Amino acid sequence: MFAEENGLHGDPRIKAISDAIRVVPHFPKQGIMFQDITTLLLDQKAFRYTIDIFVDRYRDKNISVVAGVEARGFIFGPPIALAIGAKFVPLRKPRKLPGEVISEAYVLEYGTDCLEMHVGAVQAGESVLIVDDLVATGGTLSAAIRLLERVGAEVVECACVIGLPLVKGNWRLNGVPLYVLVEPRLDDKDNHEECGL
Amino acid sequence: MYARTGFITAVYKINRSLTRLKPTSISPSTRPLIWKHLYSTAASNSDVNRVHVAVNDDRVSRISSSIRVIQDFPKPGIMFHDITTMLLDPVAFKHTIDLFVERYKEKNISVVAGIEARGFIFGPPIALAIGAKFVPMRKPNKLPGAVISEEYSLEYGTDIMEMHVGAVQAGERALIIDDLIATGGTLAAAIKLLERVGANIVECACAVELRDLKGQDRLGDKPLFVLVSST
Repeated sequence: MFAEENGLHGDPRIKAISDAIRVVPHFPKQGIMFQDITTLLLDQKAFRYTIDIFVDRYRDKNISVVAGVEARGFIFGPPIALAIGAKFVPLRKPRKLPGEVISEAYVLEYGTDCLEMHVGAVQAGESVLIVDDLVATGGTLSAAIRLLERVGAEVVECACVIGLPLVKGNWRLNGVPLYVLVEPRLDDKDNHEECGL
Repeated sequence: MYARTGFITAVYKINRSLTRLKPTSISPSTRPLIWKHLYSTAASNSDVNRVHVAVNDDRVSRISSSIRVIQDFPKPGIMFHDITTMLLDPVAFKHTIDLFVERYKEKNISVVAGIEARGFIFGPPIALAIGAKFVPMRKPNKLPGAVISEEYSLEYGTDIMEMHVGAVQAGERALIIDDLIATGGTLAAAIKLLERVGANIVECACAVELRDLKGQDRLGDKPLFVLVSST
């Protein structure tokens, strides 16, 4: 669900966050309007609003794990984890995590990739929030959900700064709700099919 | 009489300190003046006054014991210091951020530059707490839009680090963060990138220093602050 449709209607922070995100056309390839959150990180107010909104939503939900997807999930996840007193668990590309890991493959446009998590980082029964900067096809987040469910954790929600419902009106990924602050911007165009998401 | 006792006390401290195995784990501010001077002149190569190690209090103790060391990763002979176990201890993680924030909060730092990827974990909480921007320093082809690049050497071959054009203005005061300093190569590349745009680097900060690798020698005149100094 969009934050604005879920308690934050008219909240000026949402517009500040959206305006702080820069759109870079045709990156990494033709047709993709890349939603660049690095400009959000340069705007201290907007970055703070982003974290505040997530923390307000999750602080009283007994979440003991915040899992962040490499690499931009590492930027948003830890401040949330620190504020709500949860562990931070990095979900990484292959061969980055030392020691024992479990892996989950997922499909890309061409080929597959893999997400890894440390064995023992998360216990069965723990409540987990997954964080990433943006949800597009939902492929990476689905892999993240599968990793956490394999160790018996319960994924409470997936939180992203930017995203769209996966199919019109569908805000669930493998049964897990998605919470998103802002839509992707297209600058002058108002046509979501061209945005590459 | 008092002066002579003082001298004997100082000599005692000097003798004791020369037998310590880990002198760099003592904060410079707790060393008696004479001992600090002797240690500095006796030091073999690196300028130890530029490496500041956090006082080993309860917080640092908890941080240090929460970090796990994994042998032979990524290859035989390397003792990998894994900070992910510290992130699983919310108190230790909070102590880590607090120690950095306490040090930097009133230093007019407007930029915290974090090195991909583990610098992304520590940099943003510090930036938020001290009111600075967070600037990611990334591997090639990850940042969209105009970037500046700096090549740096690895053990075998080279790599490239990139920063966005326009992220940092000339004259801004910057802090560079990574989880760990080993050879200092990546931090050196980050220093170059920031200096190329005219930033003033206040300090480099890491949770862990592998002091035998003498990474601080690659930082030029930039000071280094670490929480845990390890062999």
